Amino acid sequence: MIRTLLNILIAFKEYVLLTLFLVISILLLAGNDNRQLKAVRAYTVGVLGYLQDAVSVIPNVFTLQHENEILRELNVNLSDEVNRLREARIENARLRAMVGLRDEAPFNLIAADVVGKSLLLMRNTLTLNVGTKDGVVADMPIISEQGLVGKVIAVGEDYSLGQILLNKDFRAGAKVQRSRVDGILAWDGGSELRLTNVPKTQDVRTGDIVITSGYSNVFPKDITIGIISSIRQKSGSLFHEISVFPAVDFPALEQVFVITQLPDTARIAVEASRPAGKQ
Amino acid sequence: MKRHVGYAFKAVVLLIVQANLVDMVSLRGITPDLLLIFIVYLAVKEGQTYVLPWGFFLGLVLDLSTGTVIGLSALSKTVAAFTAGYFFSDNKITMTLATYRFLLLVFLTAFIHNAVYFVIFTMGSDIGFLGAVFGVGLASALFTTTLAILPMLVTARVRSSP
Repeated sequence: MIRTLLNILIAFKEYVLLTLFLVISILLLAGNDNRQLKAVRAYTVGVLGYLQDAVSVIPNVFTLQHENEILRELNVNLSDEVNRLREARIENARLRAMVGLRDEAPFNLIAADVVGKSLLLMRNTLTLNVGTKDGVVADMPIISEQGLVGKVIAVGEDYSLGQILLNKDFRAGAKVQRSRVDGILAWDGGSELRLTNVPKTQDVRTGDIVITSGYSNVFPKDITIGIISSIRQKSGSLFHEISVFPAVDFPALEQVFVITQLPDTARIAVEASRPAGKQ
Repeated sequence: MKRHVGYAFKAVVLLIVQANLVDMVSLRGITPDLLLIFIVYLAVKEGQTYVLPWGFFLGLVLDLSTGTVIGLSALSKTVAAFTAGYFFSDNKITMTLATYRFLLLVFLTAFIHNAVYFVIFTMGSDIGFLGAVFGVGLASALFTTTLAILPMLVTARVRSSP
C-alpha cells in the first residue's frame, strides 16, 4: 500500500511539488499580518540592504545629469521662496501671538540614502540605509525636498523599506491647497495619482497644488504631494476624476528624509472607542 | 554540489542587480525580470522537478525583500517554473538555450507569470486587471524576452566554438 502510494508520488512528483509550493504560497498570502513573517521580512531587508548598499556606489550618469538640471531649477525657485517665506514667517509669528495658537512642533528628520529601488511589476518600494539603530520605526513618513515620498513599512537594524506613493496599497488624506477641498489619494497603476472622493460641486482646477490634509494618523499636514494635471467628469458619477502629477521625481530619487513622527496613539484610541452607529 | 552553489551564487547576483541596477534601464516604469530568465534557463537545463523549488524560493526572497504581500511572487514564480519546466527535453537542452526557442519560452513563461501575479495583485485595488496584464504585464514580458537574447547568444557562441 505504502509502496504503491510512493510510486504514485514519484510518478507525479512534478505535480506533487507544484501543489505543495502553491499551498505554502497561499498560506503565506493568508498570513501576511503574522508577526513572525514581519520579523523575517525585517531580517531580509537588513541582509539585502547591506548587499544593495555595496552596489549602490555605482553612479548612474543619466540620473545624475537629470538631477543636476532639477537642482539648478530648484535652487532658483528656492531662493525666491526663501525671500517670500522670510516675510511670511514674520507675519505668521505676529498673527500666532495675536490669536494664541499653539506652536506646532517642527519635524525631526533623519537623512537617508536610497540604496535600492524595486520597480518590478508595480512593486514600487525603496530601500533606505537607516533602520532601528537610527530611530526609524514602521509607519514613519518619508519626504524629500520635493514633497511626500511615502512611508516606512518594514525596518531592519540598519536598513528600512519604504512604500512610495506609486504603490497600490498607498492611501493618504489629501487637500487642494487653494480651495481646501479634501480627498483621498490613491494610485491606480499609471504614472499619476488619483484624488478620489471629491464631489463635482467642489472647487478644483487644473494646476492646483495637492497637499497632505493632516487627517491621517501617519502623515503630517501641508506636505506637498503634487499638482492636479487633469479633471474629468464621468457621467453618472457624483465625483470628479482627478489626476495628480507627483511632485517627487521617483526615478531620480537618491536622498530622502524620514520624519520621526509616529501615529498619535491617543487619537487612534479615541477614534477607535467611538460608539458604533454614532458618526 | 558545485553546480548548485554556482546556481545559488548566480541567483544572489541577479537578485542584487534586479534590486539596484535594473531601474536604470526602466522604460516608463517597466523593467525586465532577470530572475524569471534565470528560472527559465534552469528549467531548460535541469528540468521541471529541479526548477520548482528554485522558483518558489527565489519568489519568496523577492517577496521578503520588497513591500508586496508575502507569497505573491513565490506563487507566480512557482507557476512560471512549472510552465518553463514543462518544455524540458533532455536531448534538446543546448538547442533550446541557443535558439529563438529560448526567447519564445521566456515570453510565454513571463506572460503566464505576470497574469498569475496580477490576478492577486489587483484584487481589492483601483488597478484594473486587464489593463495591468495587457499593459504592464505584456510590456514587462517583452522587455524580459529582449534581455533573454543575451544568455541565448552566449550559449550559441559557446556551442559554436570548437
